[in-house]
Amino acid sequence: MNFSGEVVDILLVEDNPGDVRLTREAMKEAKVRNQLHVVSDGVEAIAFLRRQGTYANAVRPHLILLDLNLPRKDGREVLAEIKQDTDLRRIPVVILTTSEAEVDILKAYDLHANCYIAKPVDIEQFLTVVKSIEDFWITIVKLPPR
Amino acid sequence: MSPVPDQNPRIDRIADAIIQLTSGNLDARLEPSETGDEVDAIMVGFNWLAEELAIRENALQQLVKERTADLEKALETVEHQEARLRLTVAELARSNGELEQFAYVASHDLQEPLRMVGSYTSLLKRRYQGKLDAEADEFIDFAMDGVNRMRALINDLLTYSRLGREERPLEVTDARAAVDRAVANLQTAIVERGAVVTIGQLPTVMGNFSQLTQLFQNLVGNGLKFCKQNQPEIHIDAERNGPEWTLSVRDNGIGIDPQYRDRIFLIFQRLHKRDEYEGTGIGLAICRKVVEQHGGRIWVESEPGKGATFRFTLRAMDRLERAA
Repeated sequence: MNFSGEVVDILLVEDNPGDVRLTREAMKEAKVRNQLHVVSDGVEAIAFLRRQGTYANAVRPHLILLDLNLPRKDGREVLAEIKQDTDLRRIPVVILTTSEAEVDILKAYDLHANCYIAKPVDIEQFLTVVKSIEDFWITIVKLPPR
Repeated sequence: MSPVPDQNPRIDRIADAIIQLTSGNLDARLEPSETGDEVDAIMVGFNWLAEELAIRENALQQLVKERTADLEKALETVEHQEARLRLTVAELARSNGELEQFAYVASHDLQEPLRMVGSYTSLLKRRYQGKLDAEADEFIDFAMDGVNRMRALINDLLTYSRLGREERPLEVTDARAAVDRAVANLQTAIVERGAVVTIGQLPTVMGNFSQLTQLFQNLVGNGLKFCKQNQPEIHIDAERNGPEWTLSVRDNGIGIDPQYRDRIFLIFQRLHKRDEYEGTGIGLAICRKVVEQHGGRIWVESEPGKGATFRFTLRAMDRLERAA
């Protein structure tokens, strides 16, 4: 276990409030105590990670859940910026999107996404997926120290 | 008697004129000596012949000119019509493509809001079922039912519009493998209904494996669905007719009234109420589209109560069969 007792910080980059809430609901059922930070576009995501402007006191997340289709700066650009940044690139990025298009999957891995997940249509499957993300990235995987 | 002019130079002139005439000089003429002898007569005759030839040649050339002009005009009309036809075909293809693109985008973009409605209705059910009153549970169930039907519709519509968008090259495909895959995909329903599926000798054809699988799956699936009274028996077979194969899927279900045999292949056409037989009305439209993309035809032979046999044609592949 990586985080016995510690709170896990997760940054969710998602513009659909419905999906944010669903992820929150799923995270509520998580075994590990977690804090879900939410930003709704790519510009805010970068500001959060670089602690700019209103995000000066933002924490460094253990894990990033990133949607691909976002307003202002889209998920692919955010991913590229994170993976080009020698400091931020160590934070695992899980792409969580509705797209199942092969071109999106290839592009995401080309940009060094840590994994790609297509949001399931079914709620039970969605809860299972979020639980699996938590299980794998937070309890199984050894992450670099913050 | 006046002295007879020397015959030979005049004969030479005649011979010379004939050569000129035959090599295309229609103005070649001779001057008779006015003695009125036989040679002069020949010369006059020659002149007359040459004159006549020139007239006919001119008439002929005029005719050729006219005919050529007519032909050119006709050709121009044909070319014009052909160009218009090409334009119409291109226009049709474009509007068809646009329609398919629209169907694709619409069905794709509809998935997102549907996912929200579906997810939150499920969440309501998960959290509050049995905790509100009986009516609330009923309302939630109706909402879930609507979501599930819409999901099926959107999925079928996506499949249908994808068929037009992704034109895949036809490859050497084992029809038996496509049938096996389709039957495997339907395994749950086959076991549930206690159905018997038998498969005859099937050929190798030019086709697209996943599309053919979809085709067989829809036809066998219909055979399972439209068979409430008895145990479904479905037989898949093929026979060779000249340059093509006719494949058939025969069932022992409720059959189809012949008056509907064309309508059933149109999109969104259903012959039954929802509580009798479920469905989106897209399945057979998908079948028709797959067959048409393979350059074949599909039809049904049936009588109410006597089952139905769906038949479709696929191009045979002689060369490869001979090589095998």
